[in-house]
This record gives sequence, structure tokens and C-alpha cells, in this order.
Amino acid sequence: MSREQSEPYKHVPHEPHGAAGEPPYRHTAEGAQVPSPRQGTQQADGHPSPQDRGGREERPLEQLPTHGFDERDSRSSGTWLPALVGVVVLALAFLVGLVLNVLNMSRAVFVFLPQALLALVLCVAVFAVGFWVLRRVRPVRSPSLVVSVTAAVWGALAVTGVATYANTGMSGLWGQILGFEQAGSWGAALTAPLNEELLKLVGVVIIAVVFPRAVRGPVDGFVVGALVGLGFMVVENMFHALNSISLTGGLAPTLSVVQTIGVRVFLTGLGSHWALTGIAGTAVGLVAPFGRRPGVRRVVGALLLVLLAMFLHGIVDAPLLTSGVGTLVKVVLVFVCAMAVYFTVRHTHRRRVREALSEEGQALGMRRSAATALAGRHGRRRELGHVARPERAAVRKRQKQMVETAEDRAVVSRTS
Amino acid sequence: MEQKSEKDRTGRRSRGNWIALGVATGVFVLLGVGWPLMNAVTPSTEAVAADHDITVGSDEDYSASLSLPQSGWEVDTTATQVGQNHLFLRGPVQLELTSVTAPSAEPATPEELWKGLERTSRIGDPSAELGPPKPITTAAGDEGLIGELRTGNRIEHTAVYPSPDGMFAVELVLGGKEATAADLDAVKNVLRSLTFEHEEGNP
Repeated sequence: MSREQSEPYKHVPHEPHGAAGEPPYRHTAEGAQVPSPRQGTQQADGHPSPQDRGGREERPLEQLPTHGFDERDSRSSGTWLPALVGVVVLALAFLVGLVLNVLNMSRAVFVFLPQALLALVLCVAVFAVGFWVLRRVRPVRSPSLVVSVTAAVWGALAVTGVATYANTGMSGLWGQILGFEQAGSWGAALTAPLNEELLKLVGVVIIAVVFPRAVRGPVDGFVVGALVGLGFMVVENMFHALNSISLTGGLAPTLSVVQTIGVRVFLTGLGSHWALTGIAGTAVGLVAPFGRRPGVRRVVGALLLVLLAMFLHGIVDAPLLTSGVGTLVKVVLVFVCAMAVYFTVRHTHRRRVREALSEEGQALGMRRSAATALAGRHGRRRELGHVARPERAAVRKRQKQMVETAEDRAVVSRTS
Repeated sequence: MEQKSEKDRTGRRSRGNWIALGVATGVFVLLGVGWPLMNAVTPSTEAVAADHDITVGSDEDYSASLSLPQSGWEVDTTATQVGQNHLFLRGPVQLELTSVTAPSAEPATPEELWKGLERTSRIGDPSAELGPPKPITTAAGDEGLIGELRTGNRIEHTAVYPSPDGMFAVELVLGGKEATAADLDAVKNVLRSLTFEHEEGNP
């Protein structure tokens, strides 16, 4: 194995200063860095040009590998073929889910069209807010829009469409096993945690195969899982809103829709499917980067996370603590568990990225605080604010490269 | 040597991806097809004894129970969600019960319930038409409305009973695609078999 292959991230400029000993960056304010006026002997990105490097082997920032192992592999037949098949699976699942959802909802929509449109507007509004928030909570940078939309659509179409039939089928079996009266109130708690959590989890796994760089760690798994859960939750709210019209005898269809969505968003929304699948999705992120050999500890950890999500889902659906206060207790329990998982993985990811940025920045002659500031969105904006406006585009690009490299190194440090 | 180890790692990752994709797709298909299939090939009805009280709806103060006067009734365990929707079968005859709750704090009158039923019945069949209602009283003395529901070429009997406090109601539809008028007439008294009871401990 060559030195490059064994130490892919070691090839950073070791002499960031120019030939005259001047730093390549001029600070316009405390902690800021902009390209030095010595552009004649510098490349456009501010790095010393080759003749200023004193003949030592260096690689400009733009030549640093910006791709992790997965990206290189994704271009090989090792990953692109499963990814292509995964795309087909996704497309078919979306189509099947769409058809099943249309079959399930169309009659109610036609009879109560104004209420259905109101429900749709409310659900879209909830989705928009949730989509923005959940992408934003990924530390360092947001997941790609394509991945985010794919995750949400999986939950919205594939899972909702199939889960209805899976739950109905399994409910019928429980009714036969336990007797319909005994199975009745426990039906939801005995079916949904298994079917829905597995169906949502399946989406995170397929996304990890189709988009290898999208799920490279637990924090990615959390965010992708949460987006799957959000898509599912929004369509499920629509179902329940339309169903509530029948369950209230058609007496006040508009009020029923608003009440149902209001309760499911403002009372139970914080402990809903986005939280459950965020927990379960973390399991995928825990093992995905390790391929077939994730290690016993990681597998056990992943299994426990999935079981936790199912257990919490069972608690929510169980005919226990059914009063308003009891419902709130369940919601808070789910939310607290999700936040515990989230802040744990977030902290670890940010720490690793900061470490990687600190090393990168040191090699480039940056101040440590300026380098580690790039780990956050606010930090990057702040650093950018110190740069002269005409140079911001180039610096923004460099920031992006540094952050990508740092996240790649964070994955490498996990997998090594 | 380096190329071989890189190739090995790529191969392992490829196999890992295929396994993950295969398992995920398999689980998706298994859940979506397996449960419904298993439910379809196993008996999905349960016999209901005559005069056995079944709770079909409730709120804080009252509960509604149905006592089927004839033998031979079965409950469809797949289509039944206790306390909300019930489907009972007796040969070609189907008896569907739905418990509905008033959406606001105002109690619902039988006439309002009938009007709402007129709309919700079209969810099951867009051509459904509800005829004018007539008063009816259960064997226990609870008052409601009864009428005919025309769906295509079939005529079904529909009744609606509000609870004594008007905060919830039970809607009954007696029909069946293969049921004849004689079949329905033979069990029509089931529409008067509903009973409301005051929950103990509540004023």
C-alpha cells in the first residue's frame, strides 16, 4: 500500500508561509483570514505557489482529497450497482405507496373536498417547518436536499401505504389469537411498533446504500431517520384528520380536521414519529460505515436503539395513561429519549470534526480558533464576515472544502 | 498487493451493500404482503354467543353495548376495532356499527346525526342515498332514528342512537351485498338491541 493510500489526509502543505516568511493570509480582524496581497506568488486560493514552497512536497488545499472512502468506492462497481438497484427499489416503493394511499384516501377526499384541502394545507405547513428544523439540527452542515427529500418521501408514501395493510393484517391475527375483545384496545400497541418502525428503518438502510455519503455516522442516521419519521407523521396526520370526520359522524367536518391536526401537532408532535425514527435511524448510522464487520458492540448498540424506538412506540399506543396528562407524559418520555440520543451523537460528531479542523488549520497556518470555528454554521458566517466582499466566494469555497475534508477525517477516525 | 487489498475491501463493501439492500427490501415486502396474506388464509371471524353483551362505544359518562338476539352471528376480527368500528356477519347479512363522538362540547341531536350520516355514508359508496328518518326505540327504551340507505341496487337499514347525554352515538347499518330483503327482515330486530348504561361512579 502506498503512502498516499495509507495516510490519505497527511498530504497537507507543511510550509504555509511564503518564501519571504510572510503568512499567506492577512488578518483584517481578529481571527479572520483573507488571501495576502502577495497574489503574484500565490495561487488564487491564497496558498503559496509551488515556487514559494521552497521545493518541499506540498498539496494545495484544492488538491486535498475531499472524498471519503465511500465516495471513492461509490464510483466503483462495488457500490454503484447496489445503489442503482436501491434507486429502483425506492421508486417502486414510492409508486406502490402512492397508489395505496390514493386508494385509501380518495373517497373521503371526494366527499369532503374542502376539509381535505384544509388538512392538506395544514399538513404541508407542518411538514415545511419540520423539514427545515430537522435538516438544520444536523451539526456542521445540513444533509443534502436530495437525501432529505428522499427520506421524507419514503416515510410519506412507502411506509404509510404499506403500513396500513400490514397493521390491518397483523391486527386481524391478534384478534384471532387473543379474541377480538381482548385484542381490541391493545391492537395498535401490538402492531404499529413492529410494522411501522421496521418499515421506516428499512428506508434509512436503503438510503444508506443508495447515498453512501449520506449516512456515515450516528448523527446522519438520526437526521435521516427523523426525516423519514416526519414524512410518515405528516401523511398519518392527514389520514387521521379525514378519518376523524367519520368518527365524529360528519357533524362538524372542518372542526374535526382542525382539532385532529392541532392535537397531533401541538400535543403529541414533539414525541411523534420523527423522534422514534430518529432513535432507530441512529442505529443504522452506527453500523453503516463498517460494512459487514461493524463489531459486536456496535451491533448490540444498534439493536438496543431499534428496540428502544419500538418500546417507546408501544408505550405511546398502549391503552395506558390515556388522559391528557398521561398523554403528555408519554410525549415527554419519547422526546427526552430522542434528545438524549441526539445530543450524544451530536457532541461526538462535533468533537471529531473540530479535531480534524484543528489539524487541518494547523497545517495551513490558521489559528486554531478560526479553524475550529468552521465546525459550525455561525462560525463560518462569522469568519466570512471578516473577509472582504470580493473574496468571500473563494473563501466560502475553501471553507466548504475544509469542512468536507474534516467530516471525511471524522469518519476515518471512527472506522480506523 | 495494494491493489489486491483495495479490491478486497471494495468487494467486502459491495457484498455488505447487497446484503443490506436485500434484507431491507425483504423486510419491506414481508411486512406489506406477509401479514395480510397470513390474515387472509387464517379464519378471521369469531363466533359471538347470543345475548352476549359487547361494548361498542363509550364516553366518560355512558357506554353502549350490543346484545345480538340471534345465534349464528360472527365478528370479523380484521374489520373490527373494539369500541370504534364493529362488523358482525350472519351468513350473507352484515351488521356494521360505528361509534361517533360529538366534536364539540355541544350534544348532538338525532336529526344532526342523521344529516352527518347522510354525508359519511358516501365515503363507502359515492352513490349512497339516505332516505327520510323515522323514530325508533330500542328494547331498553333509548330513542333514535331509522331509515333506508340505498347503495346501488341494494337497500340497507340504518339506525342511529345518541347517548342519553348526546356526547356520542352509535350508527348501525344492516345490509350485505348478497343479502336479500328476507334475510334482512329476519334479523331486523337487532337494530333495537342497543343499550346505553351510565358508567358507575359518575354522577
